[in-house]
Amino acid sequence: MNRSIAPEFKQAENLDLVLPEEIVLENGISLFWLRDVKDDSVRLDIEWFAGSKYQHKKLVAGFTNKLLLSGNSKKSARTISEEIDFYGGFIQDECDKDHAAITLYGLRENFRSIFNVFSEAMLNCEFPDKEFEEERTIALSRFKIDSDKVKYVCQRTFNTCMFGENHPYGMVADEPDFIQLTREDLQQFYKTHYLGTIPVLFLVGNVDKTVIDDLRQWSASMSSQKPVFVKRDVKPVPGRTEIAKPEAIQSAIRLGRIAVDKKHPDYFGLQLLDTILGGYFGSRLMTNIREDKGYTYGIGSSVAVLEDSAYFFISTEVAKEVKENTVHEIYAEFDRLKNELIPADELERVKNYMLGEFLRNSDGPGAMMESFKNIWFNKLPVSYYSDFIHAIHRITADDLKNLAQKYFVKDQMVEVIVG
Amino acid sequence: MITFERFTLPNGLRVLFHKDETTPLAVVNILYNVGARDEVAEKTGFAHLFEHLMFGGSKNIESFDNPLQLAGGECNAFTNNDITNYYDMLPVQNLETAFWLESDRMLELAFTPKSLEVQRSVVIEEFKQRYLNQPYGDVWLLLRPLIYKSHPYQWATIGKEIAHIEQATMDDVKSFFFRYYSPDNAVLVVGGNTSLEHVRELSEKWFGEIPARGINNRNLKPEPPQQEERELQVEREVSSDALYMAFRMGSRMSPDHYTGDLASDILSRGKSSRLYHALISEKQLFSTLSAYISGGWEDGLFVVSGNLNPGVSFETARTEIWKELEKIATVAIEEKELTKVKNKFKTGKVFSEQSLMNRVMNIAFFEMMGKPDEINDELKKYDAVTADDIQHFCKRTFVKTNCSTLLIKAKK
Repeated sequence: MNRSIAPEFKQAENLDLVLPEEIVLENGISLFWLRDVKDDSVRLDIEWFAGSKYQHKKLVAGFTNKLLLSGNSKKSARTISEEIDFYGGFIQDECDKDHAAITLYGLRENFRSIFNVFSEAMLNCEFPDKEFEEERTIALSRFKIDSDKVKYVCQRTFNTCMFGENHPYGMVADEPDFIQLTREDLQQFYKTHYLGTIPVLFLVGNVDKTVIDDLRQWSASMSSQKPVFVKRDVKPVPGRTEIAKPEAIQSAIRLGRIAVDKKHPDYFGLQLLDTILGGYFGSRLMTNIREDKGYTYGIGSSVAVLEDSAYFFISTEVAKEVKENTVHEIYAEFDRLKNELIPADELERVKNYMLGEFLRNSDGPGAMMESFKNIWFNKLPVSYYSDFIHAIHRITADDLKNLAQKYFVKDQMVEVIVG
Repeated sequence: MITFERFTLPNGLRVLFHKDETTPLAVVNILYNVGARDEVAEKTGFAHLFEHLMFGGSKNIESFDNPLQLAGGECNAFTNNDITNYYDMLPVQNLETAFWLESDRMLELAFTPKSLEVQRSVVIEEFKQRYLNQPYGDVWLLLRPLIYKSHPYQWATIGKEIAHIEQATMDDVKSFFFRYYSPDNAVLVVGGNTSLEHVRELSEKWFGEIPARGINNRNLKPEPPQQEERELQVEREVSSDALYMAFRMGSRMSPDHYTGDLASDILSRGKSSRLYHALISEKQLFSTLSAYISGGWEDGLFVVSGNLNPGVSFETARTEIWKELEKIATVAIEEKELTKVKNKFKTGKVFSEQSLMNRVMNIAFFEMMGKPDEINDELKKYDAVTADDIQHFCKRTFVKTNCSTLLIKAKK
């Protein structure tokens, strides 16, 4: 047997996305439901248009999301979590720039009970002073700890440089913002953006009709009002921003530019180009900066798409003494992609890797729902994933070289180094 | 119920197969019976550095990653004090690619000087990124030698110090490989929509000719029971004081594991837990506070750790934690509270077993622990724990002379 010859392999085949069933609840609220689940697990995501871009004061969106189950004069936060815990439920809160979500996890046998505790608490939240102060203390402590991490400071500064310090995507909070926040701010935000704006629901679980009835009843207390947001122009500040941290032994680097959204004709190609550059373990950046030079434990790039903007970025933490070498090598990798065609074997490898990645990302009902959420929130056609796969097959080395020339322009890059 | 079938190759490689008809993917997991506990005190961090070298090419294949990615797969690995685990996930029709790659690096590595040189730097950067350049990052580098005086658990997987990694030589690498990376010292688990016959055929074809090099029959002397209260206080450039209390307890294989896990859930899982309610909400002494067990295979730890709120002294913080520990050790636990943590465990388990990767990895762990059939008994074991069991466990565990405390004083 000749061990140097690879066994035959076949490209990953496209897995058809199973679309959830849509049920329209009261107030025009949509519930998307995948019920073909083999075990007893149930997961419900409730998403509101209540991300940080809707806030008029820093931190309000995140605090409101976090304290949605903080209770009222009749039922305390502790009793609420006591009850949900007793039914074996888990609650996860998440707030990003565009959306805020609550996720409920539980087993079929107790899911109605979990939801009912949640529903009552969520609809009658008073943001009690004690719970608010407790969260303020915890969040401020976390903020101070994070502020000692070069990566965290780099990421914040990068957002500000990318979108502008007054843009909703570029605004960052500082210590005084934690002090100035009041519970009235949260109550106001809750009324407008939770009770006052239409949410959307995603349910994965083999539940019976009574759960759907409960959701319908809950939705009757919600609003049918569509979210209102006026999109603002981004004002990137290209060039270098450096923050010195004498005590740090590594430097965090973030480098990037504004990119295109998922509907743009360049998007699929840019994703492929990004994967080649820094999107997987065998990428150019990993091969050069980690596996050849040993400057870092890891380096990667990605294209992040928000509701109103998108950006491409590279991030890493490197030994302090090689930070300039690293930046130099990043630009050298840009130049190689701009000036040389990607070799056929590398292109084939990345394409096959991405096809495998599509398969991994759509394996099982939970993953299918995540894929569907991407389509729904970005208002993409249901053929999005098969379009993406066809595009991957079609894109040539020449296309990628053109894209590199179009996007990897030094003068347009925002560079932030902390440490 | 996690089902599996098994066979053993003549060279001692144990192969287990878990069928899952619902996924187009396959997982190939190889668990090697070697971890940081097998290192000597003068050359620590080696098991982990070695894991990096396993991706640097093998005898007949220049790159591990490239052919796997070409076949649509991805892989990773991790090392801890007990074991080293490698896994590949790829479309099931390309299963053989993983067999080819994994078997060649078990047969023999390429041992290139360049790979050693580069991975030494990469691991040093990992050391800095995760342990030195993070607030509280060096906590376990300080705690382990405080708790363990003779056992190899006294060093962290990353190693005691960067110098140990710098000094690693090619001779060290080679002798480590031939001593531990042997078919009879490993467990191979395959999961996916294929058949036992196919797995057997691939195993014999690719792994069959690898010579047995011997089982790692370690005979580590157990760390003697702790007899005195231990404490270490250090100053660091961090924003808040932090406290870590570690108590010795039974290993992953002992009944302590289940009792201790539920005790830690009662104390700190979720906002309704005791420590959260009493010390974060009511007395407002901490901004974070958690209790968890280490799950070590040789010896276990019950850890309580938290960040103090501004103005709270270590003395107050500790006294109040001890009050809660004494309470759980002396006041009867109500049935409702116990049911609560058991219900949460059950939900967590159902969600975690949705992942093929988790199921496959768990089969490998249980096989390596020497009790593969017990993988489906976990729920029963948690269910069997009584309030009395927890109380007894707490009474004998939460004792001052069984406690090592690390205090991190904020310099700022």
